[in-house]
Amino acid sequence: MRDEENDGTNDVILHDHHHDGIDRRGFLKCMAWAGTGALYVMQGGVLKSSAMSTLKNPGSGAAVSSGELSFVQISDSHIGFSKAANQDVVSTLSAAVDKINALPVAPEFMLHTGDITHLSRPEEFDTVDQILKAASAKDVFFVPGEHDVLGDDGKQYLERYGKTAQGSGWYSFDTKGVHFIGLVNVMNLRAGGMGSLGPEQLEWLERDVRHLRSSTPIVVFAHIPLWTVYPEWGWGTEDSAQALSYLKKFGSVSVLNGHIHQIMQKVEGNVTFHTAASTAYPQPEPGKAASPGPVVVPAGQLRSLLGITSAHYMKGKHALAVVDSSLE
Amino acid sequence: MRHKKDLMHLAMVTLIALLLTIAGSASADEAVNPPGVAVKIDNFTFGPSKLVIARGATVTWTNGDDIPHTIVATDKSFKSRVLDTDETFSYTFDNPGTYAYFCSIHPHMMGEVMVK
Repeated sequence: MRDEENDGTNDVILHDHHHDGIDRRGFLKCMAWAGTGALYVMQGGVLKSSAMSTLKNPGSGAAVSSGELSFVQISDSHIGFSKAANQDVVSTLSAAVDKINALPVAPEFMLHTGDITHLSRPEEFDTVDQILKAASAKDVFFVPGEHDVLGDDGKQYLERYGKTAQGSGWYSFDTKGVHFIGLVNVMNLRAGGMGSLGPEQLEWLERDVRHLRSSTPIVVFAHIPLWTVYPEWGWGTEDSAQALSYLKKFGSVSVLNGHIHQIMQKVEGNVTFHTAASTAYPQPEPGKAASPGPVVVPAGQLRSLLGITSAHYMKGKHALAVVDSSLE
Repeated sequence: MRHKKDLMHLAMVTLIALLLTIAGSASADEAVNPPGVAVKIDNFTFGPSKLVIARGATVTWTNGDDIPHTIVATDKSFKSRVLDTDETFSYTFDNPGTYAYFCSIHPHMMGEVMVK
């Protein structure tokens, strides 16, 4: 998408028509709950963006081609699921990989924000690994969803994806000056509660970021949203406030989550929260159905409600541009 | 000779009577214990969510959702394997008390069994 008032050099898409920053709430309200592409860039903690109609080709002709760090987030592949909402989750995950491979800027790596499998079965994990092998981005960083730690307290998940991680699978890494933090909030859930990070992980997090400069861009990724989307359905994390308090000093914090199988955004001060669509099946908007279970839609509509998220970091601007695109 | 035969006859009758009595009391026991109780999981909800049962009763949970669930007692006294659609879990409550349980995958799903 080109910004026509620019000089056409494919620079950052930022056009502030009123010179007073976009109305965040108005912008967020305009976005449909799934399927609408959105490009937003955070600069120095302030959200600036332009709404766009459904994005079919993420990054086409846009700022992102000059991004210094490009990566992709996929989520909730639920390999092993085979019910009315999607009888072929393998095919839709493969379509997501095709989408990734078609990106004009090849991502350096992928984040998978969990519910990799549906029933934590070995063959399900194997299938995901097989499908992701076809992606242009060879490195994949995972965090588990509650469907990945069934029956064995996450033992299998850790053996496969958490060898260098701590505790139930949390870890951090740095690339191109950006600090990535993978958190696990699906273990030891208590009755009546939501997601949970736990004291050990929180202590680790505090130590992990303590000595980082406040200008370091932070990207946190975890399965269950780290803000309270809808507590009645468990869509939130009990102790996320404490985690976020350790990140207050940073000018740019981006939180990438999954679990709810729909795109949602929220900005709170220096933190931008974003949830990705699933590659398996959609779920209802908060409170719009009896339960958060899979939503059955006409076959022709399914892929428009599934998708990937591509993210681009532009050095020096403390900005993370995030673009959602549906499979169709 | 007839005397011995009579004694054996008596022994057999006694034995048969004894067996019948044992068998009889066994069925009497079965009649006292109530049949199993069913809980259905639909739309991420246990139905009924609150149960009152007699001790010794067996509760059977059936998952009617398209999503797997578990049944885990908060006091850890029982824990099901992961139940996919149509799979069941049964537990016999031998001891009285109130047993709160939840789904460990979706912890906002809760239920209770009160055993008298």
